[in-house]
Parts: sequence; structure tokens; C-alpha cells
Amino acid sequence: MDINVRVAGEAGQGVLTTGNLLVGALAGLGLHVLSSQSYMSRIRGGLNWFDVRIADEELFSPRRTADLLVALTPPARDILAEDLTEGGMLLFDGAGGDGAVGIEFSRAAQEAAGSKLMANTVAAGAVFAVLGYDCGRLCGYLATQFKKKGDEVVAANVTCARRGAELAGTHAGRIPAPAPAAAPDYLCSGAEAIGLAAAAAGVKLVTAYPMTPSTPTFTYLAAVADRYGIVVEQAEDEIAAVNMICGAAYAGVPALAATSGGGFALMVEGLSLAGIMELPIVIVLGQRPGPATGLPTRTAQQDLKFALSAGHGEFVRAVFAPGTIQQCYELTRRALQTAHRFQTPVLILTDEFLQDLQKNVPPLDESPRPIDRHILEDPSPDYRRYEVTESGVSPRAIPGGEGFVICDSDVHNDCGNITEDLQTHLTQQDKRMRKLTGLTAEALPPQRYGPDDAGTLLLAWGSSYGPCREAVDALNAHGGSAAMLHFSQVWPINAAGARQLFGRPRRVISVEGNCTGQFASVLREAGLLEECELLPRYDGLPFTGEYIVSGVNG
Amino acid sequence: MNIGKADTQPAWCPGCGNFAILKTLEEAVAEAGIDRRKLVLVSGIGQAAKLPHYTRANVFNGLHGRALPAATGIKLANHELTLVVTSGDGDMYGEGGNHFIHAVRRNIGVKAFVHNNQVYGLTKGQASPTSELGFVTKVQTHGVVSVPFNPLALAIVEDCCFVARSYTGDRDHLRRMMVAALAERGGFALLDILQPCVTFNKVNTFRWYKERARPIDDSHDPFDREKALRLALKWGDEIPVGILYRSRRPSFEANSPALAGKTLVAQLAGR
Ligand SMILES: Cc1ncc(C[n+]2csc(CCOP(=O)(O)OP(=O)(O)O)c2C)c(N)n1
Ligand SMILES: [Mg+2]
Repeated sequence: MDINVRVAGEAGQGVLTTGNLLVGALAGLGLHVLSSQSYMSRIRGGLNWFDVRIADEELFSPRRTADLLVALTPPARDILAEDLTEGGMLLFDGAGGDGAVGIEFSRAAQEAAGSKLMANTVAAGAVFAVLGYDCGRLCGYLATQFKKKGDEVVAANVTCARRGAELAGTHAGRIPAPAPAAAPDYLCSGAEAIGLAAAAAGVKLVTAYPMTPSTPTFTYLAAVADRYGIVVEQAEDEIAAVNMICGAAYAGVPALAATSGGGFALMVEGLSLAGIMELPIVIVLGQRPGPATGLPTRTAQQDLKFALSAGHGEFVRAVFAPGTIQQCYELTRRALQTAHRFQTPVLILTDEFLQDLQKNVPPLDESPRPIDRHILEDPSPDYRRYEVTESGVSPRAIPGGEGFVICDSDVHNDCGNITEDLQTHLTQQDKRMRKLTGLTAEALPPQRYGPDDAGTLLLAWGSSYGPCREAVDALNAHGGSAAMLHFSQVWPINAAGARQLFGRPRRVISVEGNCTGQFASVLREAGLLEECELLPRYDGLPFTGEYIVSGVNG
Repeated sequence: MNIGKADTQPAWCPGCGNFAILKTLEEAVAEAGIDRRKLVLVSGIGQAAKLPHYTRANVFNGLHGRALPAATGIKLANHELTLVVTSGDGDMYGEGGNHFIHAVRRNIGVKAFVHNNQVYGLTKGQASPTSELGFVTKVQTHGVVSVPFNPLALAIVEDCCFVARSYTGDRDHLRRMMVAALAERGGFALLDILQPCVTFNKVNTFRWYKERARPIDDSHDPFDREKALRLALKWGDEIPVGILYRSRRPSFEANSPALAGKTLVAQLAGR
């Protein structure tokens, strides 16, 4: 069984603080927790909410409906009440009535601890009580969280939590909640998993110009920079950000830049530079709805074709699209490895939904494990950076040794020097393009979930893994016959490997966060697909299991 | 020696100021005792930006306007390397203007040698940010109306570590300025080099510069910012050449905790 707790209010009211407190405390009980956010691009006002979904088994997707709504403002109460499940409960920060239970969180915090700031803790106490969980466990969690801030702060928070539980009064235990299980105690967001993997893999320079939804990865890396020995620099613009990592890659350190669509548009010339200079750079592209500035804090999968074709001229690249927190970690490492093995730019496509998604997962390896950079030690004085090879990959030296390392954005010869000799141009262009063979051979095959003989096949890529997986389970639990084929690497695609996994479904439905079916078109071009149905979502909100089920059922 | 083949001959016009800059750079590197294996020449795109191909060093000839961020990334990855950017006025002050502003602020340990011919050479003679008012080109047919960019004044206002000007008409002076810039340990060094473009700039010729260049008096204290700024604002019949300004600011590298010990690249070595 699972319960969805929704905390909603204005920006700046503590929606995020309350939500994160609940996530931590509920995960501490051993419950499976999955949280997601819906917020507006502003610092004050508006309507934001934070969902904490809990269950006794692993969760993969957020859901539209809530069982417990904690509304901090009248609009939050009025607008979100319709998404309450039957038997659900509404806690309102104010007077009750009209089906809402009123608890004045701020006033209670003021009275109990002399500060309105702890209204979040009062709310958490009330939620714990309504769900029938032991407030003592919440107090224990608060004690560890606030230990650094001193005994007084801990005591005040504990008082507020207990006061919240008291105020829930007769509603204690009203919502039957899942029994604590043995879920892993390691919480991580998609944004953090990408940052952690980069830090552990030995990324030494991280650049960005702040842009939602990639900023949390940038901030995470800034927070761990001293621990891992990383230079984190906020560039003057995205053009600088990408050219800086090109420089760092040339000099031999793994480097990464994080951005979103608009910023990536500015990086495009730099991407092409990494293509011709054969530099191992990695760019994290956190998607949000466009065009232009679009909806800064919402989610989308609209930049797939842009990512695949970005950059003038022709060069090879790999594009990963993680679907889970674990994949955010594993594929960031793989992106860095791939970039270094093939000396070419690699992109990680994620989005607001996955960046902000938090979940408890088996602990991710935080120990430094630098990847192999495939660097030629001790190049001779007649070293040639772009020596023509069968695989297209030339031995890569870095500056500082006996052989000069010469790189040019112009067409160049095998030494790296500028040339306009057209035969040399062809030789070098062909050399670079030959790397596609190796990249394709190593491309990750899609993952199939669901029965082999499913009548309906959902095609998914990137962040829709979780919602599609829940949809498959829900469809099959109700007598349906569905499976999912999820691509976590969207370029290049190893068509031969992928083809076997398609099976013989009667219906093929491409589930995509865009309105044109970009991925279906990529698969068609790869010869993997003829016609298919499209189940799009492009209103700025993430897919949920229910959304996909109703789309499939028409 | 891997500096390419026959077609790596200079693509410059006979009489171009770039030849003097190349020759003087060779001398300055030798005089400064720089190990060429630890030297990286970074450039953008333009006639000036081709210089790195004609000498023996590591080369990063990147995108038009983007030499400074690339040089910044290289310096951060391995701060034991000497980073010299050699690029044109269009590259550094036009397309790369934003990076110029911020590289100086950042005070990254990069030497920027700007070949300032006050014109876009490679694209055949359009105005550059430093072209004079009234400079007529095939694009600016009624003459330039935008006020010329003053790189030295901007750098001084931003408290740049080393701000100097020289010109190709006095190679000895140019060499001394290059050596001084190469010796700068504090952070960003700007050397703006006035250079004739024999093909596309018929106004600011070799002779024009020669007649106007005035070495800065020995009594000038380069740590005096106001006086330096006054010198930087002089242009016309007399153009001051020499070291205008110096500042004792810690470099970006010195301020980066991750670079306190080994270089970033050395931290990964042997793994
Ligand atoms: C993004 C981009 N825009 C435009 C160009 C064309 N372009 C090449 S060099 C140049 C100007 C060069 O002027 P400058 O930097 O002063 O160098 P010079 O040739 O005068 O030495 C331009 C506009 C380019 N290569 N890339
Ligand atoms: Mg020029």
C-alpha cells in the first residue's frame, strides 16, 4: 500500500523545508519514500507543492492524487482539494471547516517554542500523528538533524513536533499508512546522483551559468568540491562554461558543465569544437519546457532532437538519458568513461522531474574512483595528436611532456596544425567518424520490463522510466498485457541489439514528454519502428503511472 | 619536431606586423627561460590567431572569441603551465569581449598578447571594436560611429595585475614588455600590441604608430591607479607605450583551495 502526503503553499513559506523534513523522517522509519516537487519560477507567493509518497515496497513514480494534503494557504486548500483521494484528509493552517481540519502551525510554533519558523516541525508532528507513526521517531530524527545547532534548537524542535502531534488530537491514526519496512536509508535526488558520480569519477573542473533545473547539480558539486578537490566555477556565460571545460579536457582533467536548453543553445559552438578537437567533455542538459525561456521550473523531454543534432558540421557523440536515481549515478560515470575512451563530447539528458526527484536507494559509492582517462604517458618528441588509426581513436597525450600537443578548431593535419588540404580534411573527417562504430558497439541496449508476450509495448526514454513501470504494473494487475522498453542511452542506438527486445506487440506506444514524438522519430530513422501511437505530455508536469494508464486505456 | 608540414607556413601578408610579433615572442620566450614543453599558446580565430601554428609549443587554437575561457580551463587543470593567449583585437575585444571583462576580474594567470591592428583582417577589413571614429570600410561605409573600445582603461578599472602597451615598430620595447608580462606571477597580464595591417588599415600604418608612440616616463609609478588611468585615456598625437599599471592581487589559482597542493592533473596522475 502507499500514501501520498502533499504539502502546499506559497514560495517562501517552508513547503520545501517541511517536505524535506518528512522525507528524511519517513525514510528513517524504513519506509520506501519518493518525493517530487511542483513549483513556480518565483521566490515568494504562487502555489508550490511537495509530494512525499511512502510505501512498503519500492516506488517509481509520483502520483496525481494525495491522501493527506497539508495546505498552508487558502488557495492551496481550495485548488488542491479536488486531488484528494476518497477518505483523504486535509490539514489547513488556519480555521477548519468545509472538510478541512484546522491547525494553526505558525501560532502553535510561536506558543510552543517562541518562533514561527518552526511551523514546519509542528506540521511534521501532525502528519506523523495522522499517519499513526510514533512521534518519538520523528523527535529522534530531529535530534540528529539539528545536533550541530545545539541542544536548545533540538529541544525547541522536539517540543514543536510533539505539539503538532497533540494538535492532531482525535485524527491521530486516521489515515491507514504502510507499515515500516526495511527500505534503504540512503536518500538521493537525481541532481545529487549526477553530481556525486562526477565527483567520484574524478571530475576536476565543473562550470555552469546558473539555470534551472541543472543548478542543483552545480550546487551539490560546489558543496563537495573541497572534499573531492574540484574547482567549481560560475562562468560569465554558457559559452565560457563550455570553452573552459574544453580547455581543461585538453590539459587532461575530466571536466563537466551543467545547463538547460537555453544555455545549451549557447554551448553549441563549443560542442562542435570538442567534436573536431576530439576533447572528452561531458555536458549535463537538464530539460525544461521551451521554446526560449519557456517554463523555468517545469519539466519536459523536448530537447532530444536538439541534443542529437546540436553543433554545426558532423561529428560523433553519445547521449545518455538516465531513468532512475541509480542510473543518474551509473550513467554519469559511463558518460565520462565514454567521452574519454572515444575522445568526443558526451551529453547527459535529464529534466526537472528527475533532477528534483528524491528517493531512498541502496547507498551510492561515494569513494573517489577516478576513471581511466586513456592518456598516453611519455609521448615522444614527434608525437602527433591526430594520428590516423583504424578505430578513429588517436593516442591522446596532454601538454607538459616531451611531445607538443597541438589542437585546432580549423581543419587540421595529423599533427594538429591548420591545413586547407582537402585530402587531409577527408582523412581526418573519416578518422573521427570511424569512432561511431566503436560507440555503437558499446551502446547500452534498452531494458525491457514486463512479460515477453505483452500485447502493448510502451516505448520510454529517460525520466519516464518510473511512471511507465508503474503503469505497466497497474495495467497488468487489471488484466492487461503491457511491457515497457526503456532506453537509457538514446544515441547511438545499437539497432541490432534493440530489435530483438521489441517482441511482437499489437500496440506500440511512445511515451514522451514532448508533442512531436521525437524519440519515435529517432527510432524510425534507426529502422526500429514503423508507425506507432504517441502518448505525449507537454503541459510542464511529469508523467505519472495514472496518466499513462489512462492514456493507454484511451 | 611536430609543427606540421609545408602548409604550416605563415598565411600573413608580406609586411604584416604579425611577423614582428612572432619573432619577438620567440626571443621573449627564450629570454624568460620558459620551458617550451610547459608553454601553451592559446588563440581564437583571425590572422593573429594563427600565430601558435608557426612556433614550437603546445597549441590550443580554439573558437573565434573564446581563447580566454579555454586558457582559463587549461590553467586550472594544470597551473604549472605557462598560458599565453595570442589573438586579434576582434577576437579578444569583440567576439570575446565578455570573457575579457571576466578573465581580468577573475585574475586568472594568463598572459594575453593582443595583436591590435584596429581592424578585422581575416574577414577582409571590417571595423573592429578598436577602429577609430570615422574609419571607412566596405561595411561601415559612412565611417565608424561607435566610440573605440579602450582595453587598457577597462583593465585598469578592473584592477588588472599587469597592463601594458607596445607596438611592432620597436621590437626591443615589445620584447621587454613581453618578458615583463611573462614574468608576472600575480595573475592576468594584458599586453596590447599596436600592429599595422598593411592590407586593410590604411589609416593606422606602421608610420602612424611610429610617429605617435611615446615610451612612458621612468618616473611613472605603475601602482598608481589614477595616473595609470590617465595614461590609458591618452590617444591621438601621443600614444603612451610601456607598463601603465600593476596591481598586487592574488591570482584566481592562489584563491582556489583545490589548487593549494598539486595541480588538478597531477592529483589524478598514476591512477
Ligand atoms: C563565431 C564566428 N563568427 C565569425 C567568424 C569570422 N571571423 C573570423 S576572424 C574574424 C575577425 C578577426 O579579426 P581579429 O580578431 O582582429 O583578427 P585579425 O584577422 O585582424 O588578426 C571574424 C569575424 C568566425 N570564425 N566565427
Ligand atoms: Mg584585427
